[in-house]
Amino acid sequence: MPLAEGRKLSIYRIEDLPDSHLLKVLGIRKGTQFIIQSKQPFKGPIVVKVGNRSIAIDYDIAKKIEVEEVA
Amino acid sequence: MSCHVMEAQERPRDKKLKILLMGNPNVGKSVVFSKLTGLQVVSSNYAGTTVDYTLGNITFSNKEGVLIDVPGTYSLEATSEAERVAVALLEEGADLIICVLDATHLERNLDLALKLQEYPIPIVYSLNLLDVAERQGIKIDVEKLSEELGSPVIPTVAIKNKGLMELMRTAMKLSQEKKEPGPKLEDEERWKRIKEIVDKVQIQVDKELTFIEKLENWTIQPWPGIPIALLVLIASLGVVVGGGKALRAAILLPLVRQVIMPLLNKIVSLVIPAGILRNVLVGEFGIFVIGIEWPFALILPYVFLFYLVFSFLEDSGYLPRIGVLADGILRRIGIQGGNIIPIMLGYGCAVPAIIGTRAATTYKERIMVASLVSFAVPCASQSGAFFALLGDKSILALIFVYLLSILAMLTVGKIVNKVIPGKSQPMLLEVPNLLLPDKDALKKKLKIRMKHFLIDAEGPMLIGIVIAAIVAETGILNEISKLIAPFVEGWLGMPKETSLSLLLGIIRRELAVLPLLEMNLTTLQLITGAIVALFYLPCLSVFGVLVKEFSLKVALFIGLITTTSAFLLGGLFNQIGSIILGFVG
Ligand SMILES: Nc1nc2c(ncn2[C@@H]2O[C@H](COP(=O)(O)OP(=O)(O)OP(=O)(O)O)[C@@H](O)[C@H]2O)c(=O)[nH]1
Ligand SMILES: [Mg+2]
Repeated sequence: MPLAEGRKLSIYRIEDLPDSHLLKVLGIRKGTQFIIQSKQPFKGPIVVKVGNRSIAIDYDIAKKIEVEEVA
Repeated sequence: MSCHVMEAQERPRDKKLKILLMGNPNVGKSVVFSKLTGLQVVSSNYAGTTVDYTLGNITFSNKEGVLIDVPGTYSLEATSEAERVAVALLEEGADLIICVLDATHLERNLDLALKLQEYPIPIVYSLNLLDVAERQGIKIDVEKLSEELGSPVIPTVAIKNKGLMELMRTAMKLSQEKKEPGPKLEDEERWKRIKEIVDKVQIQVDKELTFIEKLENWTIQPWPGIPIALLVLIASLGVVVGGGKALRAAILLPLVRQVIMPLLNKIVSLVIPAGILRNVLVGEFGIFVIGIEWPFALILPYVFLFYLVFSFLEDSGYLPRIGVLADGILRRIGIQGGNIIPIMLGYGCAVPAIIGTRAATTYKERIMVASLVSFAVPCASQSGAFFALLGDKSILALIFVYLLSILAMLTVGKIVNKVIPGKSQPMLLEVPNLLLPDKDALKKKLKIRMKHFLIDAEGPMLIGIVIAAIVAETGILNEISKLIAPFVEGWLGMPKETSLSLLLGIIRRELAVLPLLEMNLTTLQLITGAIVALFYLPCLSVFGVLVKEFSLKVALFIGLITTTSAFLLGGLFNQIGSIILGFVG
């Protein structure tokens, strides 16, 4: 499922993602687990919480990140 | 002869040490830099405050060195301008790296920390922001971390000056040593290593959420984040507009009008006989009026309060959150949410706003923000002038002008987005911690910005003064006025003396407004004048920065478009307004 379709406060793990340098250094990598902290109106960014860091990810990028819900 | 002697000869005693100050964005490098060098550089609580590097001299126990504030980078792959600068500085070589680490985000910071070890330069780590880490319940074993990294780690709270002495001492000692370049690790290996290190040295204690942490969460939710954002904006406006008005009315205006100006008048009258020279000094548009009363009594309070509020918000880490909330809407006009920060800064002054777009945005977005800010965002000086002109006479007119400026921004954004090829960069950012801004840091920043204002304002103001005094008192202005009267009177419906506004407005934006103060205008004329001034030429400094950051062509183009729209919109408003008033009256 694309990250853009994720639900707020659910926990996900990244299965697949575009090859982006900045994503990697921000710690958004294959296997990273996170919780969706907020979603914004008008297809604004998805804010995910990885550990104690909040990272805002553009909606179009979030569409290309495949995630799986972790129970 | 042993190698040691050779080495000592290679590095002569009097040679200055070269020290690179590096780290991720927004970890406190610029604060460390200012504290160590005593130089003032701007620091803010969001990534990309430093886009170019700054040099500063330091002396410590008789050794001299140059400290270089390198722009913050997450890595060294030269994918952005900041990273290119950082890599270039590294390749040039240095005696030492001070690598600042954010203790609240150790894992992410270690990526660069380990990468830097691949260079043959000794490193000392400054584990910074420990006060915030403590608040968040993060505990880091400094000794273990130092062991793992194989280099000294000094705990610091830069903003409170804690640990910086120790940092310098270690730095100076280390700069005399040689270092073998570390092994190059593949990405995967390095991340594994980082995870190992973090697991060993860091403990996260579960704590009850503090109020700040709750606020951190609320401010990036649409609810209650958007209402909070509106409240913050309204409160800020209240402080700047209300406070400015109070300062002006209660202190500055009486001081200038009743004490300083009469005194100057008296002195001048005593020394200089009536005539052109006296008029040039104390006449209606004389040097003292334009040079003292206008900037100090009318403009300064607003500029000061604007920067006070803006600097506070900047240091609190709140602004990027507005960027996140606004991204969805701003992207419709092709601008990434993060650019709301330079646009807001444009309400202070367009020059730093345009320079500030260098950080992380594409060329297209830079041009967009630059045109928006030059076109439709009134700077603090101009706002001060608008408040003086309209505030007392018609609050509705004032609100109308600002709504019009926002409408114009959206329109220009949409058009420029279509015209200029290219893409805007999608948002991908780490939302900074909310911090209570430090008083000293705030004071310092305010001082720098006010100094800039005074220098930037008074310099061109002097030119304006001379021009105004000469053209007004020698009758040249009359000639010009007559020449453009058909246009000014016929199309804009303004008195012909408005030519002075148009003349001075080339120099600074508020000067396009202030001469109107003395003209006894009708409400229709007031608004028309304000509209023309709002869209009229960006000031000389902005023009200069446009040329420098883009090209002469871009600057001329922006200037042409803004001026044409100023006359077009102002005239249209006047014509339509007259017709409506004709019907009503
Ligand atoms: N509480 C606290 N705040 C700090 C500390 N060090 C820096 N800050 C604040 O952190 C923010 C970022 O500091 P800067 O010096 O601008 O960061 P930088 O590393 O130069 O950032 P860039 O130039 O964007 O790469 C500022 O608001 C500082 O006031 C610290 O030890 N404790
Ligand atoms: Mg900096």
